[in-house]
Amino acid sequence: MSWIHAEDLPDIAFGAAVLGTGGGGDPHIGQLMAAASIRSNGPVELIRLQDLHDDDLVVPVGMMGAPTVMLEKLPSGQEALLALQTLETHLGRKVRALLSVEAGGLNSTIPIGVASELGLPLVDADGMGRAFPELQMVVMTLHGVSATPMGMADEKGNAALLRTIDNRWTERLARTITIEMGGSSLTALYPMSGAQAKVATIPGTITLLADIGRSAREARQAHGDPVEAVRAVTGGFYLFKGKVRDVERRTVGGFARGVAVIEGLDTCAGQQCRLEFQNENLIATCDGEVLASVPDLITALDAESGEPITTETLRYGMRVVVIAMPCDPQWRSPAGLALVGPGYFGYDVPFVPVETRFPARSVGIELVGAG
Amino acid sequence: MRSGRFLNETDLETIAIGAAILGTGGGGNPYIGRLRARELLRQGLKMEVLDFSDLQDDDVVYEVGGIGAPVVGIEKFEHGDECLRALRATEHQTGRPATALISSEIGGSNALEPLITAAQAGLPVIDGDGMGRAFPEVQMSTFMIYGIPGTPAALADDKGNSVVLSSTRDVYWLERLARQVTVEMGAAAGMALSAMTGAQVRETAVPGTLTLARQLGEAVLEARAQRRDPVARVTELLGGVRLFEGKVTDVERRLERGFTRGQVQVSGLGDFQGESVKIDLQNENLVVWKGGEVVASVPDLIILLDLESGEPITTEVLRFGFRVAVLGVPAHPKLKTERALQVVGPAAFGYSHTFVPLPDFNPTTPHKEAADVLDPR
Repeated sequence: MSWIHAEDLPDIAFGAAVLGTGGGGDPHIGQLMAAASIRSNGPVELIRLQDLHDDDLVVPVGMMGAPTVMLEKLPSGQEALLALQTLETHLGRKVRALLSVEAGGLNSTIPIGVASELGLPLVDADGMGRAFPELQMVVMTLHGVSATPMGMADEKGNAALLRTIDNRWTERLARTITIEMGGSSLTALYPMSGAQAKVATIPGTITLLADIGRSAREARQAHGDPVEAVRAVTGGFYLFKGKVRDVERRTVGGFARGVAVIEGLDTCAGQQCRLEFQNENLIATCDGEVLASVPDLITALDAESGEPITTETLRYGMRVVVIAMPCDPQWRSPAGLALVGPGYFGYDVPFVPVETRFPARSVGIELVGAG
Repeated sequence: MRSGRFLNETDLETIAIGAAILGTGGGGNPYIGRLRARELLRQGLKMEVLDFSDLQDDDVVYEVGGIGAPVVGIEKFEHGDECLRALRATEHQTGRPATALISSEIGGSNALEPLITAAQAGLPVIDGDGMGRAFPEVQMSTFMIYGIPGTPAALADDKGNSVVLSSTRDVYWLERLARQVTVEMGAAAGMALSAMTGAQVRETAVPGTLTLARQLGEAVLEARAQRRDPVARVTELLGGVRLFEGKVTDVERRLERGFTRGQVQVSGLGDFQGESVKIDLQNENLVVWKGGEVVASVPDLIILLDLESGEPITTEVLRFGFRVAVLGVPAHPKLKTERALQVVGPAAFGYSHTFVPLPDFNPTTPHKEAADVLDPR
């Protein structure tokens, strides 16, 4: 896929919801915006990292704010332009290519719409390989790339340019401005040279999104198992199968925090799984034992359709399969774990890679296959 | 090459006294700023003040000042280069380097802030400001009232962070966003905004207020030295009226959405024996009430001075037992046009009364015409 057409978007959005690990915002709105933009401005060229010149200016763009707000307060479409213009004015340079900040959730499809609008190519890479709640949680931070100068704008025509001492201060100030702007904003941040982008991002994630969506769709069309299709293409592991018995959810500090309790079915019968989340799914435990934890990806899929389920829509009675996927290796370095490991989110457990916990993958497959 | 007046340490002392008087109870204490400015003079930096007549039409002038809660400014000392970094960030965005600076508000600590920044940047300061007093919000300046866009506006904090608000929907959004950023930065930040030409400054600024502040300070110090009544000298210099004299008998004060709000009761002494007035506060003194009647109201200046020393009394130190003179001083005509009253009149502070200006006794005020020219726009 070297061009993204409107008909590619449903697969990409599906894949983005899988890598969204329950959060990241519903990619559907971004999908609609991107489809509208592609219809009027044409398809988006998807380029590889190695296609970039070392001195190209590459800028990730994305929405910031509460996903629930974005469902109601639709972007005007001009925000991205204004945010990028603000950044370009500051840098005195034109952007050569755009990039997704996070491939999981809404921010997978938002840059596609922006790229089409501006006639810019999109780089097949992103900053997370999944979704995370805060803007410093990108691999760029691990490589010492500053989030600023950063441009941001809202649908009212307000725009700001931030320069901060570190990426956590960017998060604080940008979050405050986003809240005052009405709960969501569009941001252009982590401006990079092509040379930086080649080492400081996660390659191939947009293609992966499309592959995930296509595999699940083809499995459904062939009356196969879309859940297994998703697991296979992401190199994931089955954690649990069951029925949602209880969901406890509250909004704390701007985040949807909570826990879902899942009662085991089939081979998991008699067991109980707790899925704890903060916008994204963070940790899954079974009868007190950790099954998988952040930064590895944990996603609940509808047991029949394989459709990924967000933490906002999770509710009593749903039959789900919980899968875990290994995160990008960069996240497993000491610096990566300090930034996004279980400890950062308040869990006093060591990170153990999911493939270490589940050495025999076949056991997992049978777990669901039996049901 | 134009050359203005260079300030010395005595000027800083007198400007600080005058600025506190013009602060009408708010605007922040200029004392710390005065010490910082004095330190720069001792390091050999220059503070040059230019008159309106020295302005060239193609000058590039920025409004500079601190933003935040005045009480925080007393405890959280500035790093010292906040306003300078804010200035540099704004200049970078506009691409137009400053040739001079002007104070956002002469009342309170922001009288000295641009002097400090200008000394650091090697620039002159224009003798004037955007309020002729103190007001609590960014858009309450004559610059913005008469159409200068505040943006790009930059904020910089003591830690090294900066935020440029490159465009906003209107000046009220500028205030909203700047206020929230300031709170997150620790409730105090330096700000530089409103790029103007020399011609625009002449048209929109309140002129001569740095000189006025200095003269007020000199008058107070002189009257004290000669054991004469400083309150009378201040009243005379400002062309104001002594509305009331008395003892503070009740102070009700609360912090509401970042503002000090409340009411002060003053019971009459001397000629005013047997009477009493109430003064409403919101950072600054806003309205003087006698019975149910408005005696004086924002945007006119309501100034409380210590009856003996002539020392201005700010709203946060006010307490039971103070003996005070209440002065009413007519605001500059640029603050009293129909257009200005929408932004700084009683309604802007939530009152329903119509603004009745205090009589303007000052024969030297030449700006009646200027105001008439500005109003129809």
